[in-house]
Amino acid sequence: MATRALLAVISASPNRRFISSSSIRIQSSLSSFSRLNFQRHSRKIHRTAGSYSSDKESSVLPPPDVSRLAETARISLTPGEIEECETKIRRVIDWFGQLQQVDVNSVEPAIRADMDGGNLRDDSPETFENRDSIRASIPSFEEAYLKVPKILNKE
Amino acid sequence: MSTTLLRTIQLNQFSLLGTALIRRRSNNVSVRCCGSQTATTHEAKQTSPSRVAPKNHKSNKLDEILRDYEAVIGIETHVQLSTLTKAFCSCSNNYGSVPNTSICPVCMGLPGALPVLNSKVVEFGVRLGLALNCELSLKSKFDRKQYFYPDLPKGYQISQFDIPIASGGYVDLDIPLEFGGGHRRFGITRVHMEEDAGKSLHSDTGDYSQVDLNRAGVPLLEIVSEPDMRSGVEAAEYACEMQRIARYLGVSNGNMQEGSLRCDVNISIRPIGQAEFGTKVEIKNLNAFSAMSRAIDFEISRQALLYDQGKADQIVTETRLWDEGAQKTVTMRKKEGLADYRYFPEPDLPEVILTQEYVDSIRASLPELPEAKRRRYEAMGLGMQDVLFLANDVSVAEYFDAVIGKGAEVKLAANWIMGDIAAYLKNEKLSINDMKLTTQELAELIAAIKDGTISGKIGKEILFELLAKGGTVKGMIKEKDLVQITDPAEIEKMVIKVVSENQKQLEQYRSGKTKLQGYFAGQVMKMSKGKANPGLLNKILLEKLNAKD
Repeated sequence: MATRALLAVISASPNRRFISSSSIRIQSSLSSFSRLNFQRHSRKIHRTAGSYSSDKESSVLPPPDVSRLAETARISLTPGEIEECETKIRRVIDWFGQLQQVDVNSVEPAIRADMDGGNLRDDSPETFENRDSIRASIPSFEEAYLKVPKILNKE
Repeated sequence: MSTTLLRTIQLNQFSLLGTALIRRRSNNVSVRCCGSQTATTHEAKQTSPSRVAPKNHKSNKLDEILRDYEAVIGIETHVQLSTLTKAFCSCSNNYGSVPNTSICPVCMGLPGALPVLNSKVVEFGVRLGLALNCELSLKSKFDRKQYFYPDLPKGYQISQFDIPIASGGYVDLDIPLEFGGGHRRFGITRVHMEEDAGKSLHSDTGDYSQVDLNRAGVPLLEIVSEPDMRSGVEAAEYACEMQRIARYLGVSNGNMQEGSLRCDVNISIRPIGQAEFGTKVEIKNLNAFSAMSRAIDFEISRQALLYDQGKADQIVTETRLWDEGAQKTVTMRKKEGLADYRYFPEPDLPEVILTQEYVDSIRASLPELPEAKRRRYEAMGLGMQDVLFLANDVSVAEYFDAVIGKGAEVKLAANWIMGDIAAYLKNEKLSINDMKLTTQELAELIAAIKDGTISGKIGKEILFELLAKGGTVKGMIKEKDLVQITDPAEIEKMVIKVVSENQKQLEQYRSGKTKLQGYFAGQVMKMSKGKANPGLLNKILLEKLNAKD
């Protein structure tokens, strides 16, 4: 659970430097027109990460808003749990803060950590044998459909 | 009801149109992106004349608005790919299957299931990116777009956020003549790969909805345009061109009705001369190109009115739905704040790596695209009306290219295809590929008429036979003895006979009723079973009628 919350923090925190700062704007469903800028921007950010390393004070990151995080992850927490999480998550964020002090000026930005890409699949259909048990395990499966509460808007 | 007549009709791939766009040039036949010109549009106007007047009035009002305000329009297009399997699992990608039968642990988001990318999706992405003149990212990745909704099994959609497979392209197109014609170039911001969500059916009664996950995981390509369009017409034509290109490439069947092509419009207006963009509004639920155009026109009017009334601050960033019945945009329930999708790189999928050789091989295998075809047809001397018609449907264009490839004259081939053949296909609801008339036979027919073997009228009769039953031109000419009579002596014999049998008419002719020449010509034609060469016939007839005493 903490890992999920952590991942949520990292992507949502406005001062994150691994993800371009313009990403917050992008995250809106009605984001700005010139999205091409974010791509070039994110590359620039990788290179300037090093320039922040010299000034330790400026790498202090804001504390996580655990209630909001819990809300977005649809996890309910008691006030006690919120407090507990906040400390733990804070610690992890600080570890990432330390990473910012690494000089990456001469390093080409990596998209992913794995060695090669690939692992592609042929476009040939295969029927999953046990679809009956998938459907049987759905609590509200009625008349060939999943019956769900009526929700008209996403989020 | 009459709106239905005027709405774009789509049948197979060689379809027909009558659209509400007629209101702008009510006297011309519309050649709209997905169709051919036919009698239907004329009929539609005749049966509902009262429709024309108010719509004209409306278009004048829009022109007035556009003198003071500029509309800035961008379009997001989702193209559902016609792969055999889904994007990240091997479930069948079939439209119309029994609900919740094309499922597996991966697309259902069951614990432990892992996505594996379908190689065809990358191929289609590269093809579309190249066709839209984009820069390809040789290295790109997938990201998770996270939100909760009943039709999204995993609680996130696998998409591409900051490094899409293609970006920075453009598309060239031609505006249909009835809307002023002209070339346009619109920018393409990006193209990226993602997966579709399931389908929700909302019941009218009750507090529940039903979800079908057959569509969950189906691959999509999202195309985001630059905000370069300035009118409903431009936007609709851009969408048409996206459909055309998707079909030309064979990456999708691009049916708006089926949902394999979806367009969302982003629109704002600003007073002319203002540099900043106005507040942007998103419009969803557009099911046809004509609906796009009408929705945009409505929204321009709505926003302009608010500006005029000094209430520009009532225009808020929101999503509105197009209500086809009421012909207006309506607010969806406003969200508090903007959506936060918390994008991060998809940890279960590796990078997507393209080699230059791979890209080059795909580029080499691209078919001739609509823009190139249009320019080539133009260079051949065809008028824009013909060019737009022939290049609209890839099957029609291929047929046309084959016919002229066999030596037929360009303009004649175009006329046959756009005229009688188009009408036949529309009546029989066939696509040009299902037609029994082969390209070889059409070429021969055109040649036979051109070199005088048969007359034009006979040619038409043969055409109908061939369309209905197939067969060969040569065979039919022989079988029905249709060879044109071009021997002057033979024609003279018939003329003399007809004249001698119609003395009364001859006297009438001599005394001034020269129109009766047509009567005599008809009689000779009848006698010759339609085979007399009309030119020669009239020449000899005139001699006889005027010479005898």
